Amino acid sequence: MSSGWEVHKMSKPMPFQRVEGEEIMALGNSSCQGCGHAILARIAFKVLGKNTVYTSVPGCIWIALQSSIPLYWRGTVFEGGGALISGISNGLEATGKEMNVVGFYGDGGTADIGLQALSAAAERNENVIMICADNEAYMNTGGQRSGLTPIYASTTTTPVASESRGKKSNKKNVPFIMAAHNIPYVATASIAYPNDLVGKLQYAKQLKGFKYLHVQSTCPTGWGFDSARTIKVARLMVESGMWPLYEVTEGNNFKLTYKPRELKPVKEALSQQSRFRHLDEKEYEYIQEQVIMKWKQLSEMDGKKLPI
Amino acid sequence: MKHMELMVGNKAVAYGAKLARVQVISAYPITPQTTIVQYLAEFVAEGELKARFIEVESELSAMVAVQGASFAGARVFTATSGPGLLLMHHPMMEGSDLPVVMSVVHRSNKSMQPDHSDLMAQRDNGWIQLYCENNQEALDTALMSYKIAEDSRQTVPTIFGIDGYILSYTAEPVEIPDQEKVDEWLPPLKAPWAPDINISVQEWRRRQGRMSGSQKAWIDHDTKFRNSLGIIKEAHASFEKTFGRGYGNGLLEEYNCENAEAVIIAMGTIASTARSVVDDLQKEGKRVGLVKLKCYRPFPAEEIRNLAKKYHAIGVIDRNVSLGSNGNVFNESRSAVYDMVERPKILGFHTGMAGSEVTPQIISKIAEKTLKSIKEPVDPIVEWVGGA
Repeated sequence: MSSGWEVHKMSKPMPFQRVEGEEIMALGNSSCQGCGHAILARIAFKVLGKNTVYTSVPGCIWIALQSSIPLYWRGTVFEGGGALISGISNGLEATGKEMNVVGFYGDGGTADIGLQALSAAAERNENVIMICADNEAYMNTGGQRSGLTPIYASTTTTPVASESRGKKSNKKNVPFIMAAHNIPYVATASIAYPNDLVGKLQYAKQLKGFKYLHVQSTCPTGWGFDSARTIKVARLMVESGMWPLYEVTEGNNFKLTYKPRELKPVKEALSQQSRFRHLDEKEYEYIQEQVIMKWKQLSEMDGKKLPI
Repeated sequence: MKHMELMVGNKAVAYGAKLARVQVISAYPITPQTTIVQYLAEFVAEGELKARFIEVESELSAMVAVQGASFAGARVFTATSGPGLLLMHHPMMEGSDLPVVMSVVHRSNKSMQPDHSDLMAQRDNGWIQLYCENNQEALDTALMSYKIAEDSRQTVPTIFGIDGYILSYTAEPVEIPDQEKVDEWLPPLKAPWAPDINISVQEWRRRQGRMSGSQKAWIDHDTKFRNSLGIIKEAHASFEKTFGRGYGNGLLEEYNCENAEAVIIAMGTIASTARSVVDDLQKEGKRVGLVKLKCYRPFPAEEIRNLAKKYHAIGVIDRNVSLGSNGNVFNESRSAVYDMVERPKILGFHTGMAGSEVTPQIISKIAEKTLKSIKEPVDPIVEWVGGA
């Protein structure tokens, strides 16, 4: 089987309705207007199909979407997501059932409080699909910073005021942490690139072992932009290099799956979001330099094996 | 065929899980529980037990993993001690609808030696708590725990405890029941709540036993949990009939109480020592018997009231303390009898904490004070004994 990237390349650009599979999500849900997670859930479960058990930990997905996703489902404690999918996967195999087992958690449940159990599940190479819906803060509790909040972002726990310029530290690179576990598949994706996302999901679906998809999911409420611009902002984050799209197959083959001729300035993406509205030129410059440096590193690694 | 074998408590527990044919095991090592998991890993490695083993990175994940496997329809087992049990608190409370069975090897929160402070700290979780006196009872209670937890009328997670070191690493002769007989008595788990592509999601959702979202959910949960008392008694009676061994009525056992005016209540290994103490005291004409409390959760209040009708004084030995209050069994026993017109004296004794030795002399002193309280006021009502 070719990689998710190859699946994506082979397929022509398609409207979402033409994604193969039955619509799983029910009409209507209680997420905020313009919620990226709702878009992600609709795409993900259409690809994964009915023979799927999915799980939640506390967060936007459980609260706003769970009742609109009519699939076999179980929730657990915030810190237990990685262990829950491990248990379900083993329990189903022990009782002779073959189903997709999916963890569908936010950035907190994946990368902060959930990282320990997730890392252990990846290290054991459990046969599961883990999707991180990354909206870059604890949005369900009112937008507190997480380890995946970008630097300088204003959140309710990193408010901008005379003594504060927003979040003090950089976003944690969780896809690379996961790649360091040498698992069969790691990929980043964005709700603004459904072809790429679908290809990666299809690839993950037929693979045995631990599959990790980290999807940036824009949040009008928490990031501060008009709810009609969810996809636009998500696309700008990718086009500016703030959120690179890539995959790591067979443990260490690194490949960029989106390579623009030239990156848009980060300012073009960030200035759309009120969480960055306070940024001065120096701060923009810092972020821009970081992005260029990282993009250079990623481009050099493209098509090569990571030292894992 | 059934046969006898000399084995430590941890091996007896592992044998119980093996005989129950558990399908998924997940556990994390902690003294003095560790060898339970090692024995099970050996059973699996040698092909004696066909089970999947999830080697997790913490007790919290062990609990969530077995809950996940139980949700998927598998019979599951985990084990832990003291601090590990504390780490499990959150998922234990959250996922208390599934028939998970766990053994706890009691470890104090102030030393590696046993007291019941670890398990008592989980008393409000909706998990059945059964305490064991010896290694045979550990094996038998493991089997009974599955029968209780997986009852077709309601599923309730169940813990059985053995005292660390005193049982975990001490060898006693244990009768291992015949596997075929166990299989007949404990058939494979039926899990209507498990995901199943052959039933619609709507039907599947209807089958979920989980209760959340309102005060009514608490009321329903409490009602269901209280019903477990009857199920424990039934499972015990059925075990006794099939295997020829019993432990009182499954909730508690009255030992040498026929002529007793007073009784002492003890749990776990203290009950074992207390048997010889009441035997000796009765030979001296002192009319004191023993009540071994096997089930602490749900609390068998009705059974305690029955004791209160028969005996004039009850001395409660608590191998635990609710800091700032008293022993948990003392408090709850007193509460159980409060509305009776004629109430016995109820005294409280803390002993055996952090593994301090509970000698026959200590138990004798407790029994004598309890007897004395029938005739004259005693002071204090609650005291710490031993442990120097």
